[in-house]
Amino acid sequence: MTRSNTYSKIVARLMTCAGAMALLAGPASAETMTLWSRSGQGETIPALVKAFNESHEDQVQVVQVPFQEMVQKYATALAGGEAPDAVALDLIYTPSFAASGQLEPLTDWAKSLSYFDSLSKAHLSVATYQGDIYGMPFTTETSVMAWNKDLFEKAGLDPEKGPTNYAEWRDMAKRVDALGDDIDGFYFSGNCAGCTIFSFTPMIWASNGRILSDDGSKATLDTPQMHDAVDLFRNMIADGSIAASARTDNGTNFLSIQNGRIGMQVVGAATIGVLTTQHPDLNFGVAPIPGKDGGSSTFVGGDNFVITKGSDHVDLAKTFLEFAYSPEGQTLMAKYGSLPARSDISAKIMADQDSRLQVAAATVPTGHTPYSVVFNDIINSANSPWIQMLSAAIYGDDPDAAIAEGERQMQETIDFGS
Amino acid sequence: MTAATAKRLSLALSTLVGLLVAAAFLAPILWTILSSFRGGSEAFQVPLPPWPTQGVSVDSYLRLDAAGEGILRHSANSGFVAGMTVVLSVIVSLFAGYGFSRFRFPMRNVLFVLIMATLMIPFQSILTPLFILLAKLGLQNTLIGLVLVYTTLQLPFSIFMMRNAFDAVPKEIEEAARMEGVTTFQMLFRVLLPLVMPGVATVAIFAFLNAWNEFLAALIFLSDPDKLTLPVLIAQVRAGRFGSVDWGAVQAGVTAMMIPCLIVFLALQRFYIRGLTAGAVK
Amino acid sequence: MSNIVTQPVTVGKAMPCGGHKRKRKRKSQLVGFLFVVPALLLVGLFFLTPVAMTAWMSLHRWPLLGQPRFIGLDNYWRMLSDTGFWDAMGFTVLYTVVVTIAIFAVAFPLAIFVEKPRPLQNVFRTIYFLPVVVGFAAASLLWVWLLNVDNGLFSPLMERLGLTNGRVNLLGSFDLAFASIITMVVWKVAGFTMIILMTGLQSIPEDITEAARIDGVSALKRFRFLTLPLMRRTVGLALILCISGSMLAFDQFYIMVSGGPQNQTLTAVYWIFNQSFVSFRLGYGSALSIVLLAILVAISVVQLWIIRDPKEDAR
Repeated sequence: MTRSNTYSKIVARLMTCAGAMALLAGPASAETMTLWSRSGQGETIPALVKAFNESHEDQVQVVQVPFQEMVQKYATALAGGEAPDAVALDLIYTPSFAASGQLEPLTDWAKSLSYFDSLSKAHLSVATYQGDIYGMPFTTETSVMAWNKDLFEKAGLDPEKGPTNYAEWRDMAKRVDALGDDIDGFYFSGNCAGCTIFSFTPMIWASNGRILSDDGSKATLDTPQMHDAVDLFRNMIADGSIAASARTDNGTNFLSIQNGRIGMQVVGAATIGVLTTQHPDLNFGVAPIPGKDGGSSTFVGGDNFVITKGSDHVDLAKTFLEFAYSPEGQTLMAKYGSLPARSDISAKIMADQDSRLQVAAATVPTGHTPYSVVFNDIINSANSPWIQMLSAAIYGDDPDAAIAEGERQMQETIDFGS
Repeated sequence: MTAATAKRLSLALSTLVGLLVAAAFLAPILWTILSSFRGGSEAFQVPLPPWPTQGVSVDSYLRLDAAGEGILRHSANSGFVAGMTVVLSVIVSLFAGYGFSRFRFPMRNVLFVLIMATLMIPFQSILTPLFILLAKLGLQNTLIGLVLVYTTLQLPFSIFMMRNAFDAVPKEIEEAARMEGVTTFQMLFRVLLPLVMPGVATVAIFAFLNAWNEFLAALIFLSDPDKLTLPVLIAQVRAGRFGSVDWGAVQAGVTAMMIPCLIVFLALQRFYIRGLTAGAVK
Repeated sequence: MSNIVTQPVTVGKAMPCGGHKRKRKRKSQLVGFLFVVPALLLVGLFFLTPVAMTAWMSLHRWPLLGQPRFIGLDNYWRMLSDTGFWDAMGFTVLYTVVVTIAIFAVAFPLAIFVEKPRPLQNVFRTIYFLPVVVGFAAASLLWVWLLNVDNGLFSPLMERLGLTNGRVNLLGSFDLAFASIITMVVWKVAGFTMIILMTGLQSIPEDITEAARIDGVSALKRFRFLTLPLMRRTVGLALILCISGSMLAFDQFYIMVSGGPQNQTLTAVYWIFNQSFVSFRLGYGSALSIVLLAILVAISVVQLWIIRDPKEDAR
């Protein structure tokens, strides 16, 4: 850190202290830690920070960063020596950041937590690099099937039951779609890599397939499970059950179900909170994402909490995390749509929550998070082999060739990266 | 048909065509502004008609205002950055345009191309070095740092514009003034400045627009929540899960951002009124 | 450009004495240079320095995160076999040509139209300029909404007017997506080019065109042989801005179609962005940027040379 940076930090801290003294008459020793979090995640983190600040002398200042530019902004800030103390980082990016040596290792402290064994395994697996832990489970979400109960009822379907296999899925979509010209049976963001890895892969996992080997070294797209899932979507398109805009939606309409004219859509647990608070008139149900002949799975997503190496507030960050892991913190986060990161108290905390959130929380043990240090390259980017493959397989003329080509390209990128 | 009738007819015809084109240019914006007042589930329906049919709602604007430090604070930041960029761009390009137009010095053309080259790098790729540089200068996370970067990015256009404007002023005017013994600075500010006002107005307008609307540099360089500019705020509000867009926030954001730009344009466009230059030249 | 109209009279020529002349000339050179210094300082600090740093990074294997390693010119050699980049380059050139023609085809008539005093002149000017005040990212988003096949404007409107049988997804195929984006950009940028061209038109003394008109020269000929040459610099500026802007196009393709359908609309900058911030290969992205910069500067130097004032060289 350069000297001028140190000065500016000192000045900043003095000013913060002065402000804190003026406002709260707190002691001059109070620290302030900066935490970046990506936008579009609802109110979970702001609410948690607010509760922490009200009950603690030391303060956390949260800064929202538009999620698309989060990686760029954090990486640039690291390069310039001006990074925040901590970041709530989309968990899929933790392998890349952990491998870079820019994060504070948290292994010993993490393992000393009495509830360490019950923390989300999916989060920790992507945060572990060469035996050390560089990120801690923070927010948690899963993908679930949501359906519009009103539309189901109108279509003569049981409004309390979602699809449990592909045949039901197709049939329900078709019957809802028949309700009218401006109503569609099913919706998905067909040109959005992040959305489809979140919403589509659970179908494959639920049918006991995988898209990557556990260590991320092998792409396994060309499987019967992939073909079955693609076939379901092709059939629904042939039936006319999928909205026309799905094909080119690069994520801008990911929350289409809120318009009240979509029968079914796969959404995230965090979305449930958004839908219930912002669209109270939308009457929807939630169930796990089914496999071809039953079974279910989910994508475990959310944020890992990472601390920048060299931060002056590592202890404060740990205190904040312990607050987040406390029953009080976990309950508060659940209220705003983030599922408990601690499985030991999950059931107790979820007991008072919306029943739909309970469904989402219960899927966590069945879920997966793919591990890859080139996740962005092979899957998450808008031009990745994953989304090119999926789009061509679902909407193109030759799904078999598209899937085979996708697997080849994905493997090529993996081999190139290592 | 008399010549006068023919002239009137052609005028009417061309005005009609102009109006049709205007309608095409105006339509997307009109649709946006009207749609920004739709609320609830109506916001997701086909905008035919675009105006709210289930009651006017200002929810989208309230969402904008609820984010960050409020819309006024962020507008003030943007206003400061844009205003400073205008002042600095106009001063620097007025000098440089005059220098390039009226003086000959070694490497003149090379330096001119060098300045023009600023236009030609993808901004994305110098962002990381620029950030490191600003951090070293202690200007990162300051609005002044942003102003300096915006002004630099604005220079090629501004200097080209001002050079053209000075070139268009006949040299006889300077000669005459020189005979009367004016100094170089008096020449620039008293004699020439009024003659290049259309150029200055153009430079000012575009400096304002670009600084007011710029998003990426503002996002990367600023970290304090109370320093963020308006485009960053709007990007935060509109973005949902996986890039899903809050259309109401976009519509309201575009509307809110457009108003100051229009005011600036309307205020400065009087400098385009023909005759200002032509009259002086004659 | 006024030189064509007026006799070029330089300060030096007015001075009769040789020795005096040289001294005066040197002082004039110094004054001229001083006027340019503030601009040079800014460009040196906030453009040349970062570009030099980028050039330095391009000689490294420089991950966005982690330690850089010097590899000499390897990034540049690798570029030669990077078909993805050259495909993106090819598409960028195609886009630049099409969009530049489209913008000028709209902006030039508009500039002539709003330059002449006429009823509603200011209203027309303001309306044509209106889209320019919307930022590129915001404009792209707006059009994504307007182009959406389910809840946008164009598709449902065309269906209701009976122009299409059912709704057409305007971003679904390459041709339609390309045409949609061109339309959006013309809408967004034409007003900008119009204002630039208008300032050029206004610097043409009215009496010249008036004299030609009285002499019975047709409007088309007046435009081709009088207006256009007199506007050489202005047209040049508009062209350079348009071409370099288009060669650096990114936002609209990123926001509206994400480079789709099937990665067919990936531009050069999009490719650089992907290399730098998706694949985290900042060093390689820097090398690509330097090459793109070199290509653009070359194009611009040629353009500046073409629009140069022949009289000025003779001076």
